[in-house]
Amino acid sequence: MKKLLRFISPLAPDDSGACSVLYELGGITVICDAGGCAGNVCGFDEPRWFTKKSALLSAGLRDMDAILGRDDRLVAKLARAQEQLGRAFTAVVGTPVPAVIATDYKAIERMAEKKTGVPCICVPCDGTKLYDKGEEDAYLALFRRFAQDKLPTEKGTAAVIGATPLNTGFAKADRITEVIKAEGFDEVKCIGLDSGLDEIKNISRFEKVFVTAPSGMKAGAYLKEKFSLDVTAHGCPIPKGYEDKLKALAPAEKTLIIHQQFTANAVRDIIGGGVCGTFFKLDESAAQAGDFHIADEEDFAQKAMGFERIIGDISLKRALPDFGGEWIDLPHFAVSGKMF
Amino acid sequence: MVEAYYITAAELAEKGFENTPDELMSSKHMIYSSPATLDFNSPGAKGFGVKRAGLAIPGSVMLLVAPGCCGRNTALLNELGYNERFFYLLLDDTDIVTGRHLTKIPKACKEVCDSLDYTPTAVMICITCVDALLGTDMERVCRKCEEATSVPTLPAYMYALTREKRLPPMAGIRKSVYGLLKPQKRRGDRCNILGYFSHLHDSCELYNLLKSVGVSTQELSRCDTIERYHELSSANFNLVINPEARYAAQDMEKRLGIPFIEINRFYRIDKIRNQYRLLGQALGVQFEDGKFYDAAKKSAEDLAAKHGTVRFAVGECVNADSFELALALTEYGHKVSEIYGTVGERNFFYIKKLAELSPDTRIFTNLSPTMLNYERKTEIDVTIGVDAGYYHPDLPNVPFNDEEQPFGYEGVSLLAEQLSKALEKEGK
Repeated sequence: MKKLLRFISPLAPDDSGACSVLYELGGITVICDAGGCAGNVCGFDEPRWFTKKSALLSAGLRDMDAILGRDDRLVAKLARAQEQLGRAFTAVVGTPVPAVIATDYKAIERMAEKKTGVPCICVPCDGTKLYDKGEEDAYLALFRRFAQDKLPTEKGTAAVIGATPLNTGFAKADRITEVIKAEGFDEVKCIGLDSGLDEIKNISRFEKVFVTAPSGMKAGAYLKEKFSLDVTAHGCPIPKGYEDKLKALAPAEKTLIIHQQFTANAVRDIIGGGVCGTFFKLDESAAQAGDFHIADEEDFAQKAMGFERIIGDISLKRALPDFGGEWIDLPHFAVSGKMF
Repeated sequence: MVEAYYITAAELAEKGFENTPDELMSSKHMIYSSPATLDFNSPGAKGFGVKRAGLAIPGSVMLLVAPGCCGRNTALLNELGYNERFFYLLLDDTDIVTGRHLTKIPKACKEVCDSLDYTPTAVMICITCVDALLGTDMERVCRKCEEATSVPTLPAYMYALTREKRLPPMAGIRKSVYGLLKPQKRRGDRCNILGYFSHLHDSCELYNLLKSVGVSTQELSRCDTIERYHELSSANFNLVINPEARYAAQDMEKRLGIPFIEINRFYRIDKIRNQYRLLGQALGVQFEDGKFYDAAKKSAEDLAAKHGTVRFAVGECVNADSFELALALTEYGHKVSEIYGTVGERNFFYIKKLAELSPDTRIFTNLSPTMLNYERKTEIDVTIGVDAGYYHPDLPNVPFNDEEQPFGYEGVSLLAEQLSKALEKEGK
């Protein structure tokens, strides 16, 4: 039965993705929920929750708020939080509750800005989609709202879009900046990871923009069009130790690499072959012949048939009880909640 | 940027419960899901949330019918061996608006049951805020599932939207997990202890006291087979030790004819003694609790003798009512500098008492966004509770938040011992 999961726990949802992008930008992020979604995001999908403080709040909706559509109360609470915390902007991230009652996010944006005096963006997630969709929408909303002017290009600088813990398995930017610097850049900033809102505002100063996950591709295209920035898809860096482990692998004819597409591409580059399969977005421009999207457990079982080796998150192995080949663990935080 | 909001016990008592400041009322502000409080702020997050609690019936499985986001953190329970008991029917954006998923649930249930190499004792269907808003008649859906599978099917309502209602999710799930019990001949020498999803410490005096008057005890979490589970309905009475189980007890009284007696978890030993006296009166017996009383009293006295007047911060992620515990510590001669708790009508009584003995005790709420700015400004020697430990990582902490539940005199002794150890380790 489609959409029935018997072996795999649900993958990271869109609201988690949006929050992941917004986490370090210094705003107030409100998850428009009753408390459960915020618990999922903070307690599971956000590894930085215990190490880096962020004003990530729950709207604490109650049934009558939803039934009566009391957006004014939501905005009043947001204004109160802004009075207390004094942040540069506010963001409202959707969940199933506002989706069911068809919340008017445009109206909330306007009401919130009027009440708080700072910019507000809304990311209309509904909890039914996957994290990459939430990330994609959040990146776009941020650049559209905050990246206004074309600044002079600074030579030797690079920005990275897509570097969230859900995509990379890193809670810090060190490894990613190290890899990109080694390619000839003096200054590298990962948008939203060890960097704040200023890098969004000043994105047009970067000589190069690398996108390390499909969730950043739409934002990349937007920046290319608006500021004529040099935007390129880039394999998502993985830890050095893991890279060495992959290099030492014996060749295998039929290898399936399962991850977000640009991490899978990076692994393919290291081992010199393989097919990419992903439960998430598959960007055609970065795909090779044979790469595929996986819709659900049933689809996974069918498409994984015939491979001798699978490099993917070990938690997925349960879904292939008959697989007799070699499985090499490649943690994906958006799947199992495990970091590298 | 404002400082973390607090109010002293004296100020709060003077205002009265009706005038509790907005900052202490979660419905009046955004909620900070502090790392300190994740295990209770979400009804499915950690510990025994609705999802894990719903699997308290031995041999049962759960089908979570919800958008993916609601089941995401269930992976946390995989480490506890639950992954073979959880199944998910994911809803898409059309489902959550039209409710068309309801017709798919019986088929999904059947597919789950058919895929197992055993017949589950029950299928728990867990639904979330979406179905709360759609007004889903889950009892009817469960009946349809039973017709399709011939397996008893029960609802588990993970409605975060109704957390402050008369029947919050954790009270509702307590009712559900006793829902399979059928009326049978009751035995005068048996009672059920209702309250938590894990049992009391084996050495808790409550077992001995009841045994001494010829009453054996049963607890859901000690039922390792469905047969033992069904014996729960043979009890002569239910002993409710947590108000969240009151609704389940009322339901069992109505359906199974099992009356209930409600008692509380206290850390003030005189109150514990008085409660046992009253329980004895209700049962027509007299409990000989002298040795347990003496042991608890000695533990509390030893703590004071060894460490003098200790200054505490008391949190709410702890096996206690934080205000009652703070009052107990104050009565034992210690000082409670800070409390991180949720003020309610039930515990306001303790706040008034505390205001008399310790008027300057600062009361914070974990849920206020201002807690992002929390900085310690009082003298504290040791913290109690996971949340209190989070705010003061440099101080000795006694989480006192184990799954096995402390109760009665034994709870006092356990806490005193753990506090003493924590203070000794730090050389205090």
